[in-house]
Amino acid sequence: MRSHDNSADVPALIRIVVFEAPGPANDTLPALDRIGAEVEFLRCDRPESCAQAAADDEVDLLVFDRRSSTEIGNVLRAVGPSAPPSVAVLGDGSPESEALEAFRAGVSDCVREGGDYAEVLPVVALEQIRRWRQQRKRVVAARKIAWLEGYSENIVQSINSALLVVDVEGQITVANSTAGATLNADPLDMTGRSIDDWFPSDPMQPSLVRQTLEQGVRFRGAETVIALPGRDAVPIGISCTPLLDSDGETHGAVAIFQDLSEIKQLQQQVLQQEKMASIGQLAAGVAHEINNPMGFIHANLYQMTEYLDDLDVYLEAVDALVATAAEDSNPALTAALGRLVDTEKRIDFNFLRDDFRKAVLESQEGSERIRHIVRDLRDFSHKGSAERSLADVNQCVDTTANIVFTMMKHSVVLEKQYGEIPELSCYPMELKQVFMNLLVNAYQSIEEALAGGSQEAVIRIVTTEKADGIVVRVSDTGVGISESDQQRIFDPFFTTKEVGAGTGLGLSTSYAIVERHGGRMTVESGPHAGATFEIWLPFYPIAPSVEDS
Amino acid sequence: MTRVLIVDDEPGIVASLRRTLRKEGWELLTAAGPREALRLLQGGAVDMVVSDYQMPSMTGVELLARVQERWPETVCVLISGWADSINEQILREAGIRTMISKPWDDGELKATLRSFLTP
Repeated sequence: MRSHDNSADVPALIRIVVFEAPGPANDTLPALDRIGAEVEFLRCDRPESCAQAAADDEVDLLVFDRRSSTEIGNVLRAVGPSAPPSVAVLGDGSPESEALEAFRAGVSDCVREGGDYAEVLPVVALEQIRRWRQQRKRVVAARKIAWLEGYSENIVQSINSALLVVDVEGQITVANSTAGATLNADPLDMTGRSIDDWFPSDPMQPSLVRQTLEQGVRFRGAETVIALPGRDAVPIGISCTPLLDSDGETHGAVAIFQDLSEIKQLQQQVLQQEKMASIGQLAAGVAHEINNPMGFIHANLYQMTEYLDDLDVYLEAVDALVATAAEDSNPALTAALGRLVDTEKRIDFNFLRDDFRKAVLESQEGSERIRHIVRDLRDFSHKGSAERSLADVNQCVDTTANIVFTMMKHSVVLEKQYGEIPELSCYPMELKQVFMNLLVNAYQSIEEALAGGSQEAVIRIVTTEKADGIVVRVSDTGVGISESDQQRIFDPFFTTKEVGAGTGLGLSTSYAIVERHGGRMTVESGPHAGATFEIWLPFYPIAPSVEDS
Repeated sequence: MTRVLIVDDEPGIVASLRRTLRKEGWELLTAAGPREALRLLQGGAVDMVVSDYQMPSMTGVELLARVQERWPETVCVLISGWADSINEQILREAGIRTMISKPWDDGELKATLRSFLTP
């Protein structure tokens, strides 16, 4: 059984280097030849060639056949620490001390010629070969483990998602570089710290990672927020899986997550654009429906003033008739005249005649205003303005300002200084969205200032042509923006408005739109000094790079 | 006498156009739709057709294109509440002289129509 086991352990080909003694051969080679099915001998008679042959990785055993301990020592030193095991065959009748010296020189085992040495040598050799091969296997395995460790570490560090591994206590054991970047920390400093430092937990509402650790719950693509010191909460998408040992007990958890800020912002931007587009469609539909009745109301009102002019001519003739009749003494005529005067008094004819004209003129003015509103709505949602086209930026600003102005209930003075500017290749609908955001913000800021006792309420829009593009400035006399808020004002989700009053996306979306036009948006302000937003739109935008890398 | 046909399915528009053009000294005919308009024209050509765009059986552009085909001497004018879908090329192809947007300015409307009818 044992020999069978050995033969199974040892690969077919065995390589043995033999440093032979000069003179007649002994039983060493035939004995070693019995170790396995295929034994290859590399026979040497000089220490140099022996050392060279033994340095080969594939050699299983080095046999010194009746060589002196000095020679053994020289060869083994020459091969160095990677030498295969060696067995010394000592001459028949050599003294005990020779075996000791061979061991001292570094051999793994000794066998003395004579007796049953031909039986003993293969067993001894095989045992050495077996040990050697096991050791070599361990070395190879260790190397492979080290390589795998480096390989998986590289994967962990290189993946584009943040990865955290925590132990059963919630202490971080692995954090990759993306996790460090997402959580604003050095990944090396993170190990050993509690997961709660970034994923806050309380007894009523344990964090997702805690839920995985404590209840074994798995999450895939869950959304949550993480707390970062000195920064707003960051929305993330996270997957958590418990790490189970062979008994099925949780001994940790793996969390993979991604910063969703950008995706969220894009989603909101798309939503906002869809909203604007549907407002545009609605406005277009409404404008169309309004235009038909407005068409004849408007025309009729103008017609009525002409009618009134004609009626005035007629009534002057009536007045002359009344004056003439008053001098007549015909009783029937006097009675009729009296009835006419009574009726005039009863219906307050002189007022009516005056007021009729006033009412018509006022209605005319009202209808004129509706006409303008509808025209602005129509221009605002002009079909095709969602695509890139040559557009008059002044007109974009103006129609938007007129629409926002109707919302301002005339509590604000709107000053427009439109410069002579050439048409610009742009996305007019998007630019209108930017102007609308700026104007609504300006209006809200002024409202706040007015509530705080301010007397001024002016929004000034200035457009000018520069050598390389168009500049649009929107200034207000509102509450202004503090220095620290100015740093973050274009950040997504940043808002100073009350909860629910603003999404915190208006300015970041506007910023993104201006960037898409290859332009720049800047803000100038101080507390209680109003704010000025300046947009520069180049005539020839340099295409923005697809990805910053 | 100059004959002018007004076509609109909105009675308010027809009535107000009638009022506006009352003193122009033209014979004003009215139709509440393209079919009625074509029927009227079979009975006798007119000098000008002023038609709405959006109507149930066919658009004003289609109607005026037919009018131009049969009566090339007739001046065709389109009147619309929504100008977006109509461009210069469409007007030219249909032989339409101009398009007036609702609500119109009375003075301008009269001046424009007069200019087309003065030889």
